[in-house]
Amino acid sequence: MDKVIDFEHNMAAHCETGTLTALLRYKGFDITEPLIFGIANGIFFGYLESSNFPFPMFIVRSRPGQVRENISRRLNIKINKYRFSNKEKGEAKLDELIGKGIPTAAQVDFFYMTYMPDWQRVHINVHFINIIGKQDGKYIVSDSYFPKKSELDSETMRKARWAGGHMSPKGFIYHPAEIPENIDLKKPIVKGIKRACRNMIGLPVPFIGVKGIYKFANKVKEWPSLARDTEHLSHEIMKINILLEDQGTGGAGFRFMYATFLQQAAEILNNKDLDDMSKSMMENGDKWREISYFAAKIGKNRDLGKDRLEELSCLIKNRGDYEKKIFSELKKMV
Amino acid sequence: MTVDERKQLTHEIKHLIIEKLKITHVTADEVDDDTPLFGKDNPMGLDSIDAIEIVLALKEKYDVRLADQNLAREILTSVNSIAEFLEKEFNERKKS
Repeated sequence: MDKVIDFEHNMAAHCETGTLTALLRYKGFDITEPLIFGIANGIFFGYLESSNFPFPMFIVRSRPGQVRENISRRLNIKINKYRFSNKEKGEAKLDELIGKGIPTAAQVDFFYMTYMPDWQRVHINVHFINIIGKQDGKYIVSDSYFPKKSELDSETMRKARWAGGHMSPKGFIYHPAEIPENIDLKKPIVKGIKRACRNMIGLPVPFIGVKGIYKFANKVKEWPSLARDTEHLSHEIMKINILLEDQGTGGAGFRFMYATFLQQAAEILNNKDLDDMSKSMMENGDKWREISYFAAKIGKNRDLGKDRLEELSCLIKNRGDYEKKIFSELKKMV
Repeated sequence: MTVDERKQLTHEIKHLIIEKLKITHVTADEVDDDTPLFGKDNPMGLDSIDAIEIVLALKEKYDVRLADQNLAREILTSVNSIAEFLEKEFNERKKS
């Protein structure tokens, strides 16, 4: 089967929002990646400790898949989803959709995206790509992390779609099936902001939202006692930078993307206060980026004494204070 | 931007990088405008942490934000690609 869909390829900040945005735009719904992120209340913070994790970790966005679910619900968009334990059936369904000219998103293990530079390829089971054709036995892929359309042979695609491990893709694919005409974004934007405020300042959970940022600030001082040795500690401290900047976050742990959402929301809702809030969120992002840099630097230099971690803790706590203020003000605006 | 202005800008970028990263073993004249900034081909031998510092330095000096890291990777490819990005930003500012 040879079929190549005429699909506009664009890079995006984040794979999940980028993939969904591209599919919706293909279907004629003109929407931006930040609007998708904001309407779906993608912004988040959680500090997680568990005996299942080798080391504490933090997250800066809602769980994978939630953006798609929230967009589907809030904009009343019907999304067809398929998951397969049987690889042959999973491949046949994908080929069928491509054959019908339907660009389809697939969850894959990022490691098998062989068109990416080797140094970037790590095992992450929740990467999303759009598959936009098949030619000479190779799938044509639009990956929002790569500057141009690329190819993956069937064998590699199979490994990517049925990779094992935590959050394994299990052949998951989806495509938007029905999009209502003339969607009014005003109410969904307000809903998305309200829900984001609830997640950041309204949940009585000590490790979620702003409370999670404070917990992170306190706990990072204890990390030396959890690490095996200095090498391990430095690796974990440098990972702060990776989680904030280098995991498709759009920079500064999604704070820049959320700021752009607020700016676009301000225009749609004709609300100048939201535009001011967007600027505050951008400044907040700049400060998170300084934390990234600080963590990367002390980690690289093995400069991990008590004073340095105290300094890092203080920078993180300041973000907690600032986000508490921002989201409290934001809550009053909508 | 005239040819001379562009030359001045690339020179400024090289100095900014050298100064911010406290590079002592290379001068601005030794850095080629098109050579990749990261990797073994560049005499400065920069890494990903240096990349964040360059991003912060560009923000401080020119008030430009490289928010998206996928885009940032493209922009930080070479001195010339940074200059191209800045030129575009300056033109946008003039328009608005």
